[in-house]
Amino acid sequence: MESTIIHLNIADFAVAVERCAQPGLKRRPLIIAPPGAARAVVYDMSEEAFQQGVRKGMPLGRATRICRDATVLPPMTQRYELAMRDLIKRTLAYSPRVESGSDDGHLFVDVTGTSRLFGPPVDVAWRLNREMKKDFSLDPVWSVASNKLVAKVATRLVKPVGEYIVGAGEEQSFLSPLPLGLIPGFSPKDLVRFKEFNLTRVSQVRALDAHQLEIVFATRATLIFELVRGVDRSPVLTAHEDQTIQEDYEFADDTNRASVLKQALYLMIERVCRRLRSMSRHSAGMRLILFYTDGIRHDGNLRLHTPTDTDMQMFEACQVLLAKTWKRRTRIRHMRLICTRTTPCQTQMSLFPADPKPARQQGLIAAMDRIRDRFGDNAVMPALALPA
Amino acid sequence: MEQQHENECRIFTGTSGYSYAEWIDAGFYPKGTHSSNMLPEYARFFTATELNYTWYQMPKAPAVERMRTRVPHTFRFAAKLTRTMTHEIKPESWKSQVTQYRQGISPLIRSGQLLTVLIQLPPYFTRTPEHRSYLAALLDELADLPLAVEFRHDSWACDKVLSELERRKVTLVAVDEPSLPHLFPALDAVTNPDLFYVRFHGRNAKGWRSGNMQKQFDYDYADTELEDWITRLITPMIEKAETGGIFFNNHVRGQAPKNALRLIAMLVKAGKTPTPETGPDLPSGILPGIDPENRSWKAPSST
Repeated sequence: MESTIIHLNIADFAVAVERCAQPGLKRRPLIIAPPGAARAVVYDMSEEAFQQGVRKGMPLGRATRICRDATVLPPMTQRYELAMRDLIKRTLAYSPRVESGSDDGHLFVDVTGTSRLFGPPVDVAWRLNREMKKDFSLDPVWSVASNKLVAKVATRLVKPVGEYIVGAGEEQSFLSPLPLGLIPGFSPKDLVRFKEFNLTRVSQVRALDAHQLEIVFATRATLIFELVRGVDRSPVLTAHEDQTIQEDYEFADDTNRASVLKQALYLMIERVCRRLRSMSRHSAGMRLILFYTDGIRHDGNLRLHTPTDTDMQMFEACQVLLAKTWKRRTRIRHMRLICTRTTPCQTQMSLFPADPKPARQQGLIAAMDRIRDRFGDNAVMPALALPA
Repeated sequence: MEQQHENECRIFTGTSGYSYAEWIDAGFYPKGTHSSNMLPEYARFFTATELNYTWYQMPKAPAVERMRTRVPHTFRFAAKLTRTMTHEIKPESWKSQVTQYRQGISPLIRSGQLLTVLIQLPPYFTRTPEHRSYLAALLDELADLPLAVEFRHDSWACDKVLSELERRKVTLVAVDEPSLPHLFPALDAVTNPDLFYVRFHGRNAKGWRSGNMQKQFDYDYADTELEDWITRLITPMIEKAETGGIFFNNHVRGQAPKNALRLIAMLVKAGKTPTPETGPDLPSGILPGIDPENRSWKAPSST
């Protein structure tokens, strides 16, 4: 069956949510940034501020010099998370398959096969927009297309307001004239390579066959070949299907002490691994996001060669991830650990005598799990996690 | 066999939109028809369609051009005016929207395939001085295009409105819809001798104000209801206009194409079906009442 995807994108999501809370801020330049921090940078800004030259990641001092009449508000991440939850709840009325980004105002809705219930997809998209306007005072840009990739490009084209319907079979002609930078899925390295070969438009890359692409892009050639043709087979993942596990840690006082960060990391790993064990799954990929005091965030990814659900093994791997991700001296306010890829537990036994250490660790963890199940989470903890 | 016409009126018949996945299950489109192939398939049976998507989104000339080239040159499009000029009007920007719209449908204008621009007004667009001024200004802006206006509120059903539409040569859309308070009545008034225009929305009174299109337009016309329309309204309109557009909006479960084909068969039988060069290639099973051998509404040589 042909799939139909709706993409809803609320431009400048943090600003839009703040304006819902304080309608007086509408049509005025607004900057979201931590005002107290010495080297704070812009987390998000309104269209009015953007028009005056303010950009994400810009030092707040410079931004307020450029846009003197801007109101500055601190980022309220919890508020944005709650708003996203409300939007998802509303969207679920039209389809059980709703995928959201990380509190960034993006929603993919798979409405394949729902038209008998709710009418044509384009009407559903328009109704969702209308309901979000009426009930949340949010005005999402919307698009309807045959897959997530094309739908996302379509909303990028009309942002900050508007809609775009890409008819079935129109994908290639829709993408052809667009600049390559608009297509999601290209890595920064890909874009540099395109520039080196003086390729700026999708149509130019589409003119190359798979073999020609392979010479330049090697293993990424197939992906690039499909991206420029608007091919995207990735499904809309619901929160239930999405096996990612996320843990957050908010520091009582912002810190840049390595020992404190490692302790927080271990506590998050413990919780992640416990959930993995309860799901009988192993993790094969981890993502760490560091939220600095000044609003900047850095994230890093790590692929685990041996998927695991063991705290100690995961901690060993994630220490490398922390070192890779932590690049600034600025204090950190918040850490988020996401288990990006989970796999079913490996059940096949090794042919050769196994290292006894992992088995001992697993025995220890199993015992700790039993104690915690019976006496609570704080009944037992490793020395590393004890307060200094 | 060709039909001899009673007069010169050419009737274009079709449905409001053509891209409905559920029409595959209903048997109108063959199993496995991809959305991108629905229009050429649709054009085998009908001579015109209403473009619904132009209500949701401003039409874009390249896409309209590609669509146009997929049907015979005799095929016609009735393009709905975008909602930013009918339902969600912004005083500061609607004029620029008109310019964009005109540009978007320009391939149809150039090729002569634009049957009309359909201005469908919402039920809350009542006959107030403000709305009258807006409508007059809108009709002025679009004056050089063929226009048809559909009212959804009965406050517009008065002689003054009809006279003004007549003066402007703007078509008043005759509507069939449920018998509910304040809905615009079915009139056979022809305000534009160039074109009469009929829209069959279905008579689902229960679902009409549900806010769900699947309930609002879920209706299957009985032969007697269609015969009554032909006798009471369509026949007088045929006599007064050069061209006619008849469209079925009851798309749910493929009822619109089924009823449209049935109406065509009835018009053929009554000798009132002059159409351009294309004719219906009736899908098996969708219209058991029609004799497949009697596909006689091919290009009448007498037109």
